[in-house]
Amino acid sequence: MPQTDTHTIIDPEHHDGTSDATPGGEPTQRRPGELAFGAFLLIGSLALLWNAYGIAGFEALSSPGAIPMATSFVMVVTAALVLLRTSRLPPDRTETISRDILPPVVLIFAALLIGYGVLLRPLGFLPTSLLFLVISIKLLSRRSWAWVLMISVVCLVVIWLIFRIVFTVLMPPGIVPEAEFIQFFRNMIGGGAS
Amino acid sequence: MDFMTIFTQPQLLLLVGLGTFAGVYVGAIPGLSVTMAVSILISFTFAWDVLPALSLMIGIYMGGVYGGSRTAILLNIPGAPSAIATALDGYPMAQRGEAGTAIGVTTVMSFLGGFIGIAVLALAAPFVSDFALSFQPRDYMLLAVLGILLVGSLSQGSLVKGIFAGALGIAIGAVGRDPLTFSERFTFDLTIMQSGISFIAVMIGMFGVSEALAQLHHVDKEAVRQKIDRIVPSWATVKKHLPLSLQTSTIGVVIGALPGTGGDIAALMAYDHAKRVTKNPERPFGDGAIEGLVAPETANNAAVGGAFIPMMTLGIPGDAVTAIMIGALFIHGLNPGPMLMVEQPNMFWFIVGALVTANFFMLLFGLTGIRLFTKIVEMPRSVLIPMIMLLSIVGAYAVNNSITDVYWMLAFGLFGYFMRHYGYPLGPVILGVILSRLLDDNWRRAIISEREDLGAFFMGIFTSPLSLVLFLAVIFIFVSQTPAWAWFKGRVFGRRAA
Amino acid sequence: MKKILSGALGALLICASAAVAEYPEKEIQGIIQWGAGGSTDTVMRSVTPHAEEVLGGKVVMQNVTGGAGAIGLNQVAASNPDGYTLLMGAENPLLYKVMGLGDKDYSDFTPINILARGTAVLVANPDAPFDDYAGMMEYIRANPGQVRFGSTGPGGLPSVVTSMIQSVEGELDVITVPYDGDGPALTALQGGAIDVMPAVVGAAVEFIRGGKMKPLAVIDTEASESLPDVPTITSFNEGYAEHLPWGPFFGVFVPKGTPDDVVAKLTEAYAAGAENADFVKLMDDRGFTMMSISGAEAEEFLNNWQQGTAWLLQDAGLTKASPEEFGIERPAE
Repeated sequence: MPQTDTHTIIDPEHHDGTSDATPGGEPTQRRPGELAFGAFLLIGSLALLWNAYGIAGFEALSSPGAIPMATSFVMVVTAALVLLRTSRLPPDRTETISRDILPPVVLIFAALLIGYGVLLRPLGFLPTSLLFLVISIKLLSRRSWAWVLMISVVCLVVIWLIFRIVFTVLMPPGIVPEAEFIQFFRNMIGGGAS
Repeated sequence: MDFMTIFTQPQLLLLVGLGTFAGVYVGAIPGLSVTMAVSILISFTFAWDVLPALSLMIGIYMGGVYGGSRTAILLNIPGAPSAIATALDGYPMAQRGEAGTAIGVTTVMSFLGGFIGIAVLALAAPFVSDFALSFQPRDYMLLAVLGILLVGSLSQGSLVKGIFAGALGIAIGAVGRDPLTFSERFTFDLTIMQSGISFIAVMIGMFGVSEALAQLHHVDKEAVRQKIDRIVPSWATVKKHLPLSLQTSTIGVVIGALPGTGGDIAALMAYDHAKRVTKNPERPFGDGAIEGLVAPETANNAAVGGAFIPMMTLGIPGDAVTAIMIGALFIHGLNPGPMLMVEQPNMFWFIVGALVTANFFMLLFGLTGIRLFTKIVEMPRSVLIPMIMLLSIVGAYAVNNSITDVYWMLAFGLFGYFMRHYGYPLGPVILGVILSRLLDDNWRRAIISEREDLGAFFMGIFTSPLSLVLFLAVIFIFVSQTPAWAWFKGRVFGRRAA
Repeated sequence: MKKILSGALGALLICASAAVAEYPEKEIQGIIQWGAGGSTDTVMRSVTPHAEEVLGGKVVMQNVTGGAGAIGLNQVAASNPDGYTLLMGAENPLLYKVMGLGDKDYSDFTPINILARGTAVLVANPDAPFDDYAGMMEYIRANPGQVRFGSTGPGGLPSVVTSMIQSVEGELDVITVPYDGDGPALTALQGGAIDVMPAVVGAAVEFIRGGKMKPLAVIDTEASESLPDVPTITSFNEGYAEHLPWGPFFGVFVPKGTPDDVVAKLTEAYAAGAENADFVKLMDDRGFTMMSISGAEAEEFLNNWQQGTAWLLQDAGLTKASPEEFGIERPAE
């Protein structure tokens, strides 16, 4: 478990912007990876500008490409300005990528979320969610399996009841035949719908 | 059946109460929206009479608009787009353990805003709806530009980064098939991009998942103990903010009454207005200023009354929820339209009565049961963070029953995480997405109407009083954000402008 | 882990017993192509509860919007043809191919019930300097490039009606202002942003009654029951008769390949639902003509509709691809 000691040594001035009110980033120093992110945004903006030009070119003021072109142009200009400013700032030597920007625990969770996205369709909502909750709560809380499993099941059941039963949001069922289950209970309660 | 009907029938009273109670929770959960709840209620209340069905829907609407502020304050995750501005000052208060105070102020001010909205609906509906109808595409476009200038007040830190974020938002809003010509924009020839990106998915990703990821940095930090002994704000506090709340409520009613704009834009505009007119907030904006809660919360609840104005007088929906309610009236055998007020004025007064009742219930449920909500924030983060992530996923899926939205939500969650770390504000992204269609569609309509003639377009601005006022407002707000204005202000008023 | 296992086992048992049970043995998903509050949504949400009574099962309705309805259509087309996913749609898919919006249309589906057909009406702002269709045409000819027509994008009802006018009267020199739906366009008409709008009767009838807009002509050969005093467009120009009657419609569909007994059961349920007095009254009030057709009759209707409209748009130069490419024949004269 690599993350056991990572949080304890995280610098309290984390500049992670957990509130919009105290935005992350440092105004006078360049954080690790900031230059790369700025470059990524500039390249992305250029790609969007090129794509926006491809919609209708300079055909007409009212063309579907007019506003996209104007906005992606603003993106290119501002992204370039930000990149220029960032490149002039002195790097913050007290921070490293692996500790302050992407500590292992964040990487693990990003991977878990991506895994969730991949498994959701084939496996279905209930198994994927249970798996996600059990692994993530276990990782973070380091409590016993029984406790983790109990909390996960309770949370999942509450979410499922609200979304599936009350709001009839049909999440991908995957390997669990939810609809048959529900109909089974409906029949039991109503003594058959017809 | 009139204004008093609701108070004389306990069954209806109960339904409004039930609806409002449910609405607070629907509003608080990101991904569960009032629009969704009301359209499900259409099937659910199909066999009912029209009055009980409407009572339940109105309750959910009122409660839901208010409920969005709960999670905004407690978790920094707005439950609905209209609560984005509320998070800016509400969350810093919760971080200091003042969530109780913040919720108290929010509730009382929502009540006040809701009440003003209803009063305008009851007293001036025909007048306001005529005004709202007179907005031309050009005026909607100017309104959108006015909205985009809010980027300035939503960008703490770097303005350039804020402008980038705003432009990014507008671009995100343009993805997919253009609704006017069906040409593909920013789709990169991928089928998955054609339906566009749901802005609720963007919001949930940016505020929900990225917040949860950022919280992982201090998962072991003790949750802040919330003081919840002083919830109801003192009369002095309410009195002090009364002038501001009247102004922001007016913004809310008007923006709410315009078909095509709703509580989300109203709340952001009101926040910007508060920042502009408040000389000396007790705490700076963005750090827990009470005014930063008063403005958006009065405005978004006032917008509820506003949205009913064109619906009741003309049969034109003021927002998505009233659009569904018009459908519900049809299903129940009524014909909503300009003749409804003439032929069935009682229906109008019944709805006003139900709104008043819902507003009182909102006050009641808002000031009680806060302990339960604060318990959620005091939950260990090891459980809270995974829960937020799962809720974000389900919520994103629920918007349009689409897995694609879940992927977008996750992508924007990760992207937002980096934006946070490198000091890019997230508010302007959502602002841009909300305003994208308003700006794009109406710009094109306006210029098409003038046969692509820019000269005629500007002539139009100067010959219409409404357009001229909006245009001057745009110029004023734009100039007031430039350094030259600060210098000018300093010279004329003899003090350092912020 | 035990929980999952026992759950799976229970599920398996239910599955096994389900194989012999009668359709429907679980809830049915109804995908509505258009957003909540729109006319397709309203119609489907009012007929389905009546159909459910006959069906003896629950239909969970969801709005899957976007891409002019193509997203919802593709989702249903890709689903299992087992009768547990219904498409609740309108006329637009029949134009997807020629408008370049998608490669699927109702030929990939079996119609369960074409519920009703709407009639179009030409409405104008009450302050417009003309009072009927003839006056409008005169005004347009005298003031080229002045009159603003509302539209709802390529392939929408207004674009078809405008093409009809062009095919009968020749080139129209008007400004076409696009809106994303007839609701917003009719609002703009009342605010004076556009002067004329072709709309379905149901969407405009209350505004006409309230004096917020004036009707110029009903796009049909017979007067509409909801607007008995409004002259038909054929009374101004007989040339329209060949294109009429024409109108948007609503229908319920399942993907091709759905078992016959399931189709039969659904057809029976929706036919009964469409007969319900409340529903019929609702449709009458909104100016829709009840059809409630299915089977071969419905397929023929769809086919004729597609041929007529696709070629009308093709001749007006509004299509992305010729109907010929998709084997849509030009309607016989």
